[in-house]
Amino acid sequence: MSYIQLKNVSKTFRQREQTTKALQHIDLHIEKSKFVSLIGPSGCGKSTLLRMIGGLVKGDEGEVTIGGLSPKEAQKQKQFGFVPQSPALFPWRTVLENMNLPFEVNKKSIQASAKREDPMELLSSVGLGDFAHSYAKELSGGMQQRVGIARAFGSGAPILLMDEPFSALDEITREKISYQLLHIWESHQKTVVFVTHNIREAVLLSDKVVIMSARPGKITKIIDIDLPRPRSADIEESAQFHQYMSEIRGYLRDEWQ
Amino acid sequence: MNGNNRALHDKSGYVERKGTSIVSNINEKAKAPLDVNVPKKPFAKRFKKKYVSSSYWPSLAAFIGLFIIWELCTMMFNINPITLPAPSSVIQEFVSSFSFYISHAWVTLQEAVLGFLLGMSIAIMMGVLMAHSSVLERTLLPIAVLANVTPIMAIAPLFILWFGFGTLPKVLIAAIITFFPMLVNSIMGFRSIDENHYEYMRSLHASKLEIFMKLRFPNSLPYLFSAAKTCVSLSVMGAVVGEWSGATEGLGNVIMMASNYMQTNRMFAAIFMLAIMGITLTNIVRYIEKKVLYWHVSANDWK
Repeated sequence: MSYIQLKNVSKTFRQREQTTKALQHIDLHIEKSKFVSLIGPSGCGKSTLLRMIGGLVKGDEGEVTIGGLSPKEAQKQKQFGFVPQSPALFPWRTVLENMNLPFEVNKKSIQASAKREDPMELLSSVGLGDFAHSYAKELSGGMQQRVGIARAFGSGAPILLMDEPFSALDEITREKISYQLLHIWESHQKTVVFVTHNIREAVLLSDKVVIMSARPGKITKIIDIDLPRPRSADIEESAQFHQYMSEIRGYLRDEWQ
Repeated sequence: MNGNNRALHDKSGYVERKGTSIVSNINEKAKAPLDVNVPKKPFAKRFKKKYVSSSYWPSLAAFIGLFIIWELCTMMFNINPITLPAPSSVIQEFVSSFSFYISHAWVTLQEAVLGFLLGMSIAIMMGVLMAHSSVLERTLLPIAVLANVTPIMAIAPLFILWFGFGTLPKVLIAAIITFFPMLVNSIMGFRSIDENHYEYMRSLHASKLEIFMKLRFPNSLPYLFSAAKTCVSLSVMGAVVGEWSGATEGLGNVIMMASNYMQTNRMFAAIFMLAIMGITLTNIVRYIEKKVLYWHVSANDWK
């Protein structure tokens, strides 16, 4: 049963005389409570695709539905927890106040069913329990991004859209946070669409990896990751893990050769 | 000095909270030389740290020095007090007619502050509209620019003609001076929001009003305060210009009258009052800025 459905979706950007075909004939089905990664070279339209699902960008052709709703309607019902590339924490708010932001806007459509999670618990689950009353500038980039992730999980939204949330972080922090995301997701089971250009992250986190190619952006291959859950650090040493990684790398390499 | 200490504690607190033993060891090492070295520092260095680097002492010393040199010059070169009165005679004049100056200063202060508040409110309201609509901006901004480039001295007599010798024309002139910098900065503050913050708000389907209240307005505060710090002293100038053009009271009027009667020490006393007024108003705005913008870098520059 597919939850998020994209049917023959295309998108062209026009800037003055120049037109860029960002996405062409995209068909994609995402099931509920699955972790799906979009991976591909820069310029393949993966961020645009994410924004189309989230109702932030309009498509030219085709249809996007979220549980039968249009992206705008789903957005109105606050179905999305967005994690942008930079953490988007408001500097005049403390960490806790930033966590509360989703509940302060568009109040009419807070779903009665969505039970509000304890923000403190979520913060401690990403190791930031002591920083609830700090301001964003007092936190490192990695800490800020963890707040962004905790905020998305705590917003009551069933769908989380993550746009390369780790791309600004150093490799060591990145590895640590990817495990935290893995664990927090495995205990919440929300639908996640995760844009990345990191193969390791895609395999570690995902149920499904969507490989995309650039200019025009289209889907090259969809790979199901059949690694057992819950996953731990050992899984990265397994042969299966490496097989998935080299398979994805192969498809990406075809792209630039 | 205090500021430095606080920053240091904040930093060490931040490191400590991370909690690993290696980090806190580094922290102790960083602290140790500070504690040991401070008393050992030579007197000159300690003096510099306490009284020169980070306090109001240097500026106070500069003023006192200036007044002493001035006093000495008037004595040594036997300068005619009508040209340049000695500071002591200015102070004497001020003290002997204290209530006279205070009552006139009160008039000018009211005009300046009312004008400042009026100009600021209109500027922010127009800024909200213009930040949201480029059509409105293109329509209204030229008028604002016109009001800004026209010398205020040239408009002032017209305002006296229209609104009489009372408070109103002075308030309006002060408001016009305040208006433009506040307008430009508020438009900039409301517009220059972080693209990521904006997109995040949109992903929650936040309304325009919510985006304004939660994002645009807080974002504009550093811009607004930066303009307000300049404008509040400009508004004093506006009030004085208005009083020159026609008034029966206020410090500007005192200066004009004293000039006619060549009462130079009276002019100086009024000028000092205006200077003190400007400094006080600017510092009040700075103080509010520091309280409101605790989260912003600019608040930390403040001493």
